[in-house]
Amino acid sequence: MSPFFQLSGATKNFGGVRAVDNMSFGLEKGELVGLMGPNGAGKTTIFNLVTGVYGLDEGEISFKGEDLGRLKSHQITDRGIARTFQNLRLFQRSSALDNVMTAAQYRIPYTFIECITHLGSWRKKEKMIREKSMGLLERVGLADRADQAAGTLPYGFQRRLEIARALALDPELLLLDEPAAGMNAEEVSSLNVLIKDIHSDFGLTILVIEHHMDLVMEICPRIICMNFGAKIAEGTPWEIQNHPEVLKAYLGEEEDDE
Amino acid sequence: MATLIQQIINGLSLGSVYALIAVGYSLVYSILLFSNFAHGGFLVIGGYFCYGSLRLLGAGIWTAGALALIGAGFAAVLTERLAYRPIRERTNVTLYLLIASMGMNIVIENIFVIIVGGRFRALPPVIPTTPVSVMGLATTSAFDLISLLSAVVFLGALQLFLSKTRWGLAIRAAAYDLRTAGLMGVNVNLLISIVFFVAGFLAAVGGIFLSVRYTLYPQLGAITIKAFVAAVIGGLGSLPGAVIGSLILGLAEMLTAGFISSQMRDLVVFSLLVITLLVKPTGLFGKSVSEKV
Amino acid sequence: MSGYTEGIIILLCINGIAAMGVSLLTGFTGIFSLGHAAYMALGAYTTAILTVQHEVHWLPAILLGGLLAVAVAFFIGVPTLKLMGDYYAIASIGLGEAIRLILENWQSVTRGARGYPGIDPYTTLPVVAAFFLVLAIFMFNLINSRFGRACKACRDDHVASSLLGFNTARVRVLSLMISAFYCGVAGALLGGFLSFIQPIMFDMLKSTELTAVVVFGGLGSMSGSLLGTAVITLITELFRPISQYRMLIYGAVLVIIMVLRPEGIMGNREFISWVRAPFRRKAS
Repeated sequence: MSPFFQLSGATKNFGGVRAVDNMSFGLEKGELVGLMGPNGAGKTTIFNLVTGVYGLDEGEISFKGEDLGRLKSHQITDRGIARTFQNLRLFQRSSALDNVMTAAQYRIPYTFIECITHLGSWRKKEKMIREKSMGLLERVGLADRADQAAGTLPYGFQRRLEIARALALDPELLLLDEPAAGMNAEEVSSLNVLIKDIHSDFGLTILVIEHHMDLVMEICPRIICMNFGAKIAEGTPWEIQNHPEVLKAYLGEEEDDE
Repeated sequence: MATLIQQIINGLSLGSVYALIAVGYSLVYSILLFSNFAHGGFLVIGGYFCYGSLRLLGAGIWTAGALALIGAGFAAVLTERLAYRPIRERTNVTLYLLIASMGMNIVIENIFVIIVGGRFRALPPVIPTTPVSVMGLATTSAFDLISLLSAVVFLGALQLFLSKTRWGLAIRAAAYDLRTAGLMGVNVNLLISIVFFVAGFLAAVGGIFLSVRYTLYPQLGAITIKAFVAAVIGGLGSLPGAVIGSLILGLAEMLTAGFISSQMRDLVVFSLLVITLLVKPTGLFGKSVSEKV
Repeated sequence: MSGYTEGIIILLCINGIAAMGVSLLTGFTGIFSLGHAAYMALGAYTTAILTVQHEVHWLPAILLGGLLAVAVAFFIGVPTLKLMGDYYAIASIGLGEAIRLILENWQSVTRGARGYPGIDPYTTLPVVAAFFLVLAIFMFNLINSRFGRACKACRDDHVASSLLGFNTARVRVLSLMISAFYCGVAGALLGGFLSFIQPIMFDMLKSTELTAVVVFGGLGSMSGSLLGTAVITLITELFRPISQYRMLIYGAVLVIIMVLRPEGIMGNREFISWVRAPFRRKAS
């Protein structure tokens, strides 16, 4: 049987720069895996390749036995992959509820004639979309902010809203891109709880990008670490923490930061 | 045969004037990623500056030309400061810039309608239009040769400016990514002003030659539609593309006028646009626009 | 009701129908057009030729006029709306000019630049009011449906939209086709109102006016576009004597709105939410 999700020999160049270099890893159904690495290691590029934002130069991506290489972004969403963005891509002017409804409508379709006449199943389906979206807002703790414009929400809430929006697509594989970026310690720990909860409650497979070691270490039983576009280590948090390549990558970066 | 050569020279001459307009337009597009519909206004400003200097100040063509180019350059900078900068600084919605540019185009055109009237005005005979024999093969007008030559000189100067000077290099970097250029310590507002100055300056050169060719009137700027089409054929945002697209368009127009019918000229232009959009919508040299996610 | 008032109301309805079309495209989907008068021309000429030369009843003729505009929109939209950038805006100018040139030069069918006279005056007040009402109901329903959310999503962030399952190119082309239908019908009704059409009536100034109305009323507000239409149609009537300043004011207003208040009069809200807002606050 083919694996649930498999990236094989993925390579992506930008100009002369090799952003992702012969990267391979697989995910089993129901896993919660961390993808970590220093800034510029190519983590987000992996997400962009998986979701069809960029095309692969070489290699293959398969999901539930299907090759994703030829599919467009919206078709990949259709197959059951959803994601959030590192630098937040909410519809700023729309309310939090509208943001989630915009995603929730994908699995609750109705016809164009019903759009212009509001007859037929319009009322029933719109109600379903609204209820599903409210349910998800409640799930991420934003129910009382449903009518507020997304752009005016505090940063941490915007990140949670993006998670709710991605969940509204009923994905089987959820890609979270630095969900904790810009959050304080307290927010991070409640986010950890949320990620673990949705992982078990929705029966999801989650791949989470995190720059900071501690968050990934805490929630992910398995971690993949990359640097300069290539995989440098893979294993349990304990194995990763003591892996010489990982230490070198992170130490090198801290020196750069100073 | 003689007609063919004559029409080719005329076509290149007209195309090179389009190129002066299209290059400035493309330059602005490559930096700010919006289609500046006020570009036609810059051309009209150049034309009227030249006309005014010749008629009212009694200046010679060199002085009048210089005043027109510099005047249109500053008018373009002023347009950017008044209409685009406030929008740019607040939002990155290019639709707002697009609408503002359309508004500025209407404003500029109608300022001239009100001040000088909608009349067609002929420039004094400052550029010779005497017939010239080209190597005994064909006869053409001196004007066509002069406009072709001037366009080559100005486009060559632009090429030198972009490749040899510090600001030229900064502009090329900004065309790649404006934000990165800002991060590299380039004064982005000054850079954009320079780009607009260059765009207005070159448009005015085109404006003067077009005023001689077709006479001067406030709606003369509408001819920039041809330059937009040329820029799309060459690939939006690409400078070599704008030049090649303009030459193709000028040749197509003149050959149609010479061998089919001059009424069909414009139809050929828009057919070329449609064919480009259907066959290769990014144009001959277009880069596919992708966004950092 | 005097003939003059009736005329103004008919004109308001026609302009309103066209404005709703442009509003969907520019305000809700974020696509700028400088050639929507061409779709009006297509509707007007198709209907005129069908009713006068082929003796078709005006009702199917108007609908066919709208559908021809849709077909042309599809042809222009598919290659240009796939791309990000201002390709459609430039193509729309080309379309506008090309349609005008064809109308002026295809004498045997369109009677050329001097215009097409003798159209049946089928656009009576009840007819135009019925068209306006039905099309307005459809449009307001449309923007309050999954399609309306799809348009706004594609307008605000095309990358995020495609990852929420929207085929963004398809949404943009559909939005253009619907807006072309509205303008085609508006053009057809205009022909029946004036009994006479001329290519010059559908020039770039007309296209500019259509966009100006929508911007003035508020990008992303359908009721704002209708309000904008009412204000600008009435002002145009009032200031007919100083028409040479009209265009200057148009242009300046466009720039000033973009600089000071790009959301226009209504912002991206609808009139109804404005009326309801105080009540909702009390309820919660």
